[in-house]
Amino acid sequence: MKLHVKTTINGEEFEFLCEPRESLLEVLRDRLGLTGSKEGCNNGNCGACNVILDGRLVNSCLVFAAEAAGRAITTIEGIQGPEGLHPLQEKFLEHAALQCGICTPGFIVAAKALLDRNPDPSEAEVRLWLAGNLCRCTGYDKIVRAVLEAAKSTAVVMEK
Amino acid sequence: MATVKTKKTTKSKKASQIPVRYRVIGTRPIRHDGVDKVTGRAQYGADVQLAGLLHGGILRSPHAHARIRSIDTGKAAALPGVKAVITSADIGPVTDRVVDLGEGATRLQHLRDNILASGKALYQGHAVAAVAATSPHIAQEALRLIEVDYEVLPPVLDLREAMEAGAPLLHEDLHTDDLGTKSMQPSNIAKHLRFEKGDLEKGFKKADQIFEREFLTSMVHQGYIEPHNATAFWNADGRLAIWCSTQGGFTVRQQAAAILDLPVSSIKVIPMEIGGGFGGKIHVYLEPVAALLSKKSGKPVKLVMDRAEVFEATGPTSGSHIQVKIGARKDGRIVAAQAQLAYEAGAFPGSLVVCGMMCIFAPYDLEHQRIDGYDVLVTKPKTAPYRAPGATNAAFASETVLDEIAEWAGIDPLEIRRLNGAKEGTRRADGLVYPRIGFLETLGAARKHPHASAPLEGPNRGRGVASGFWFNVGLKSSVTAAVNSDGTVSLTEGTPDIGGTRTSVAMQLAEVLGLAAADVKPQVVDTDSVGYNDVTGGSRVTFATGLAAIEAARDIERQMAERAARLWGVPASKVKAAGGVYRHATDSKKKITFKELAARLDETGGPVVGKASLDTSASAGGGFGTHIVDVEVDPETGKVQILRYTAVQDVGKAIHPSYVEGQLQGGVAQGAGWALNEEYFYDDQGRLANASFLDYRMPTALDLPMIDTVLVEVPNPGHPFGVRGVGEVPIVPPPAALANAIYRAAGVRLRQLPMNPGRVLEAILTRDGKPPSKA
Amino acid sequence: MKNFAYINAASEKAAIESMSDKALALAGGTNLLNLLKEYVLAPEALVNIKGIAGLNAIESFEGGLKIGANVTLSELLDHAEVRGRYPALHQALYDIGTPQIRNMSTLGGNLCARPHCWYYRYEYFDCKKRGGQGCAAIAGDNEFHAIFATDGPCVMIHPSSAGPALVVYGAKVKIAGPGGSRDAGIEEFFTLPAAAVARENVLKPNELVTHVLLPPPNGKSATYEVRHKESHDWPLAMASVALTMAGETAQEARICLGAVAPVPWRAAAAEAALKGKVVNETTAGEAAQKAAEGAKPLSGNKYKVQLVRTAVKRAILAAATGRRV
Repeated sequence: MKLHVKTTINGEEFEFLCEPRESLLEVLRDRLGLTGSKEGCNNGNCGACNVILDGRLVNSCLVFAAEAAGRAITTIEGIQGPEGLHPLQEKFLEHAALQCGICTPGFIVAAKALLDRNPDPSEAEVRLWLAGNLCRCTGYDKIVRAVLEAAKSTAVVMEK
Repeated sequence: MATVKTKKTTKSKKASQIPVRYRVIGTRPIRHDGVDKVTGRAQYGADVQLAGLLHGGILRSPHAHARIRSIDTGKAAALPGVKAVITSADIGPVTDRVVDLGEGATRLQHLRDNILASGKALYQGHAVAAVAATSPHIAQEALRLIEVDYEVLPPVLDLREAMEAGAPLLHEDLHTDDLGTKSMQPSNIAKHLRFEKGDLEKGFKKADQIFEREFLTSMVHQGYIEPHNATAFWNADGRLAIWCSTQGGFTVRQQAAAILDLPVSSIKVIPMEIGGGFGGKIHVYLEPVAALLSKKSGKPVKLVMDRAEVFEATGPTSGSHIQVKIGARKDGRIVAAQAQLAYEAGAFPGSLVVCGMMCIFAPYDLEHQRIDGYDVLVTKPKTAPYRAPGATNAAFASETVLDEIAEWAGIDPLEIRRLNGAKEGTRRADGLVYPRIGFLETLGAARKHPHASAPLEGPNRGRGVASGFWFNVGLKSSVTAAVNSDGTVSLTEGTPDIGGTRTSVAMQLAEVLGLAAADVKPQVVDTDSVGYNDVTGGSRVTFATGLAAIEAARDIERQMAERAARLWGVPASKVKAAGGVYRHATDSKKKITFKELAARLDETGGPVVGKASLDTSASAGGGFGTHIVDVEVDPETGKVQILRYTAVQDVGKAIHPSYVEGQLQGGVAQGAGWALNEEYFYDDQGRLANASFLDYRMPTALDLPMIDTVLVEVPNPGHPFGVRGVGEVPIVPPPAALANAIYRAAGVRLRQLPMNPGRVLEAILTRDGKPPSKA
Repeated sequence: MKNFAYINAASEKAAIESMSDKALALAGGTNLLNLLKEYVLAPEALVNIKGIAGLNAIESFEGGLKIGANVTLSELLDHAEVRGRYPALHQALYDIGTPQIRNMSTLGGNLCARPHCWYYRYEYFDCKKRGGQGCAAIAGDNEFHAIFATDGPCVMIHPSSAGPALVVYGAKVKIAGPGGSRDAGIEEFFTLPAAAVARENVLKPNELVTHVLLPPPNGKSATYEVRHKESHDWPLAMASVALTMAGETAQEARICLGAVAPVPWRAAAAEAALKGKVVNETTAGEAAQKAAEGAKPLSGNKYKVQLVRTAVKRAILAAATGRRV
């Protein structure tokens, strides 16, 4: 039997039918066409499927889609504002903080959740927070720099 | 053209004092595919959605070595929602011949048997059957209904045991190719190779000391974050379309055509964005299976591996057993060097032991050498290339012995490398004579770097140094480039972009034509839409596809000059092009920019398209790296912390320095994981225990410091801008550099990878006379 | 994953009525979803207990804290009183898993998590916990397995990082079942495989951990963990320590080890060795030696004996000085 779920994704209301065993990641990708969230491991070990659920960063592969009922979800598709790219996205590009790009959505969602909570993180705090995201291409150097720079640039915007 | 000419003049001594000025090369533009990748819009293989799409799954052997007596798929086929079930019997017989994969070759029979086991399962995870169903969950349930009757056979997991006579045989028909002679008895040793130079015995006689050491490394995985995937649709007209993540669309086409016995022209491969490969996405695993499921069901079928399948059943890189014997004089000069390398091939022949043999002593100018290599079958997955395949294992051995020699001779580790270092004219053991190379320059830059002389503060800290080499490959690339009326150029490539190569290739075209990088619109297309391209591998794309882009740009420039000539009513020979401006040779009033000219193509003869197809193999330049690392070893836990890391590399010419730095940093991170954490845990029955990221332990952001890079630019004479491949070299030195640093920090020499807390702690306790076994 | 019925429980009572050996509780899900995906567990129903009122609060209680089972590890870490008064618990949770996992995992889930043993998690291995005949870990790769209580029938290590800290604080677990609610001492809550190999605690299939009761702390405390990687990894060995100090002397010491036995492992000999001593490098080291006594490592994990000593010594010194050692 399928479940009928109503939820909010990137500020829009969504309704879908799913089996109880379907993860939020599966529904986002296969039922709702939001393929920006990636499956790297399906075990909560890589962070490629990160979404923000009611303000908390989670692995969408470890959440049943049914659990999304009545909750608010932000995916990578909701990071960019109407005015253009989010500073994190800008800084990832400027700093060449991606190579193959498969982990990038997860890193940007995680970094967004970090900056929402701590707008001025230290390098150590960035590294601790991003430890749930695996990248195999970059050695993390440019990713950490991009997040630190994005924090600086959002701080400047806020001062203005 | 002008830029290229300028570059050529720098070869003369006088001109070389004037630095070459590039407009685009050496700058850091935003990559062309960047916005799609930071917004989640980029389409990777698993993102493919098609009308009527079925989802597949693969049943895998739970045994490392077993004869398949029978497979009963009846119950699975009867499950509602299941649309097709296949086994090896659904693949027709293949003519046994050798298939070239672009980076290595393989026997077709082996390639086929690796896709779906026929007769025997040769490793745990070996594909046995496949299903397609209306949902991935139904497919998974169906797999559990397939009944396979196995006769379990003894596994062979240790490559030294596998080499012994009497070891259980994986392939009863396989005889050793022993230096060109076929062995009488079947064996697990597929091949024995040798490189020899000088007179080894004579060399050892000159030595003051001979160092003989033995090394072990574990099987490790490339660890790309995106699992393998393939979507196939076998159309009613006999045409097969395959969407997948691959390092080479044409290589997939070739393998699929061979396995499915189709002409290559019947198959269109659409390479989607690829989430990392590092050598592991060259062999096909899923593509022919998805195709057969599509043929049987009449619908498009998508197969996506889960993470455990990626670990169990794709191509990790060889574990190895390496013996090194080096003779040295008291002054630090190496007089003879011998090595024997045995590499795990996995279940089918074809380890890249030959690359390890080429690289093991490659940074050094050594008169007397002998290097033997063995390709050894074990009941583990068929190995695949992994970034500088074979070289990292080899350098772990040679570079740690060199560190020991430096200590014995009382010579600084950088100095002993300089003393023995290879340069232009040095002949390697495999016969190649180096053109201009930049190894000594990396040593000089390493010495000058503040890291080399910074004090080590605090106890239990040590600094290690190691160098490494990768030869890089050229191979074949084709591009076309169409001039748009707005003055931009659409560039069509066939080498999948894994790390920013759309941009590094586009920048070379832009440089020649005097355009901005953003004025070039690069795209990677399917195999029907561009000429043949070899794989994205061997660090070749910026070099070889770059060369093709330069040729295509020259083709455009020649045609554009003709158009200018036509506008002015003069012979084409009167038009000179430089920096995107076309001028009359003598009439200074007659000049027109590329953009102005592009707007007037219709009135001067129609569209302009440049193209080039090249085999660039002869001119790829090898690369060298020298790394410095500081570690702290906790003597009470054996845990190694990397405090500081500097990677110096001869990169030829950095087209986009940010992405070159990124290659170095990424290589270091992978090398550090290989050195300290990563390994395959097989139980005594050959079953993999740690097939997850959590248990495989790749480094996270918290495990690594910032990674400093120094780009040394010694131009490759085989490329107009001097480009060398850069991607593979940086994974070669880290395990050796870390082992040397651990020695200097803790006084223990580790000769087995990974150097994890348990192993380091046991070495420390044993050294202190308190072996943990007596705890 | 086998399909199942999804039940949203609005109250403890409703949850308990729905739960059975075929209907499992779903809380944070970080452990359960993986076990379902790998077919280690295949229940007919899941009972979502996240919506039960009262299980997601941290309240003051008899001078200590009453923590709802659904409180996430992140919420615990953000709680000023947990950070200030219960450093051993805070340190135990600080960098376990990943930020995402800490955001999802609950304290109840941490206590009830199934073992991470890879021989338990892959169905092609023999595992008594899954109803098999033997324990593949004995002859297999056991470098991450137990060094205490290794006589069998299972040599798993308990996966709870909070467990040892709760033991040294003398916490209680509130359990709701069909007959009402009862409190169990945290040490009685965890059970050895010899008692019942299929489970790791006293819970019956229709019982639920609802709260953890933390008494007021009685002195200084700390946790030290040895891990392979800096984060996103399991501990190789850990120790939680609580000291009642009089000046520099430990009047009372409670020491519990993690990741070395099938339950949080109380190190009574180490406690006795430290009791009444001035706490310094030497006495901490002596207690650490005692903590490792009785270890019976397996073929591949002798190194963990030394890790126990290191973890205990460093945890004692950290507790006494208030600094990470």
